[in-house]
Amino acid sequence: MIQGLFLLSSILEKKSISIFDGLFYLDSLSAIMIITISLVGFISSLYSVNYMGRQYDKLIVDRQKLVRYYQGFNMFLFTMLLVPISNNLGIMWIAIEATTLVSVLLIMLYTKQGSIEASWKYLLIATVGLSLALFGIILFYYANSVYDNSFNSIHGMDWTNMVKNAPQFDPNLVKFAFIFILVGFGTKAGLAPMHTWLPDAHSEAPSPISALLSGVLLNCAFYGLLRFHIISSYSIGPEFSNMLLIILGIISLGIAAASIYFQKDVKRMLAFSSVEHMGIISVSMGFGVFLGIYGAILHMINHAVVKSLLFFSSGSISQKYQTKSIADTSGIIKTMPITGFMFLIGGLAIIGMPPFNIFMSEFLMLSSGFSSENFLASGLVILFLVIIFASFGKHLLHMVFGNPKYEMEKGDLGKLSILPMIILVSVIFIMGIYVPEPLQTLIEDASKIILVGGANS
Amino acid sequence: MSDLILPTQIDLLHVSAVILLIATFGIVVRRGFSDWLHAYRYQTIILAGVVTLIAFVTSIWELYIVSALTLGIKAIIIPKVLFYVTKKLDSPIKLEMNPYVSLRISVIASALLVAMSYFMALQLPISSDKTISVFLPVSFSLFFIGLFIIISRRKALNQIVGLLTIENGLFLFAVVVTHGFSLIIEIGLMADILVGVIISSILLFRMSHTFDSVDIKNLESLRDD
Repeated sequence: MIQGLFLLSSILEKKSISIFDGLFYLDSLSAIMIITISLVGFISSLYSVNYMGRQYDKLIVDRQKLVRYYQGFNMFLFTMLLVPISNNLGIMWIAIEATTLVSVLLIMLYTKQGSIEASWKYLLIATVGLSLALFGIILFYYANSVYDNSFNSIHGMDWTNMVKNAPQFDPNLVKFAFIFILVGFGTKAGLAPMHTWLPDAHSEAPSPISALLSGVLLNCAFYGLLRFHIISSYSIGPEFSNMLLIILGIISLGIAAASIYFQKDVKRMLAFSSVEHMGIISVSMGFGVFLGIYGAILHMINHAVVKSLLFFSSGSISQKYQTKSIADTSGIIKTMPITGFMFLIGGLAIIGMPPFNIFMSEFLMLSSGFSSENFLASGLVILFLVIIFASFGKHLLHMVFGNPKYEMEKGDLGKLSILPMIILVSVIFIMGIYVPEPLQTLIEDASKIILVGGANS
Repeated sequence: MSDLILPTQIDLLHVSAVILLIATFGIVVRRGFSDWLHAYRYQTIILAGVVTLIAFVTSIWELYIVSALTLGIKAIIIPKVLFYVTKKLDSPIKLEMNPYVSLRISVIASALLVAMSYFMALQLPISSDKTISVFLPVSFSLFFIGLFIIISRRKALNQIVGLLTIENGLFLFAVVVTHGFSLIIEIGLMADILVGVIISSILLFRMSHTFDSVDIKNLESLRDD
């Protein structure tokens, strides 16, 4: 966390860093990813102490598994941090695949039938998806190698190098390759219709891991997608990739809206809400105007924060109620006042109520949609957002304010489970009112990096 | 460099491409767990041979190392791990009894996929020399047949073999089209694959322990009704 902040300040000064002979490369976009990963990672490690401690007390996990959990947790953070800092797209792919492998280990921590099924599906679907992405990466590499003198050297796959050569790429090849990349990284980023692994994996993982999966892993995959979006924008102009992003985003929103409406399981509902928000980010990117991209990047951060809050609170809630079913969980505010309040705030924030941060980025997205004259897309987004608002809100109110089904001991689950949530709630409030100055500069710089492709063509 | 290719070398290319395809079909037509692993091993050994051949033709020394790595990790270690897993599995029947798509239809489907790959390879705007025109369709075929194996089979082990076949196809594609990634990336890829195989073996053990079989029909309880 502290190192993340340190790096951040140096990026603000220099705009980009390149170390190890260009093997690693950092710019504002990666800085935003790093700050999100370290923030959510730090807070979820705080939360893990309480959560996993309780699982240990309840004999769900033994000591050996606890050790394995913390090892896996740190490996997972490491691989995710490797994604935004690698300049070489091959290494980026390896890091993303490594995140899959490590998180599969974390999901199958509980030896229940459900978690075995979830991890198997996750492993297969994500790996097949990523192999499609690798196919696309090879095509891009080929397109680059035709024009590059440093053929077959280590720099042939560098992102900076590809951006430089991008205008000369064969347009058909780039289109072909980008579709593979989109399907591949889209699978990992949870864009519908390739999202099927996501609800299973997120609902079966331990709650702190769900927060990491949903809050930052999806962002990491989307980051990979963005890097190629930039290259293809440089090469064939942004229209092609923008259109695909909007289409996929809207499908995700639609599927998420339908699934949230009929959902019976809290964590699955939250997982589908992740699909929805990845859809929002993708649509917002696809609008291709400065405001929209700004909103999308802001939304990545906001979603990470709010979704981790929701997963933490629902983790505590399901530990208390011993169920994940929405129908059986009611009256949280009466049995566990503080956690219930946090869950309420998180829920209101995620459906886009005004005083909170998500409202701001969603508002930016919609206004950019109308200003770029994507009326059909914006209209559909509003429709789906309203459906999600209504159905998520209904589940939320039932869970928070309903009458408890049976008598239960009152009280929250210890200070260490509350503290991370309080930190997150304060972040939500602050981000809802204003975006701090340094962060604002970062997001603006990052949006410019993404937008430049559009300005050139 | 293409003018250096002698007619005998071209024959070698053709022959190795054909053997590669036959080995891939071996995975499609056999029922037994260990048959797939044998077929996969042959496939990988030939793949390593092809890489050596390309290294010889293009005289890129890194490709020799890559081919040695392929032979070491993918042809020796990975099949060893998976053979060990098959031996230790609890379930007594180590056969693919009734896949979602019957074996006969699978063979026909795979043949169609191969034809499709040849068609696709013609469509791609990739400059063509002798090695590319021989191996590009083969690498596509491996890729598609791997995908087909994953969706049409019921045994988890077969799905792993399908994944590995996809990976082999990609590897061949990369080597043929771009003469391989740089060495550090190849090593990273191999490490990813190795770790992936080990993790999926652990999962296989858990699966056979919990469900008494590695049939993926057990894995259909998580859904939204």
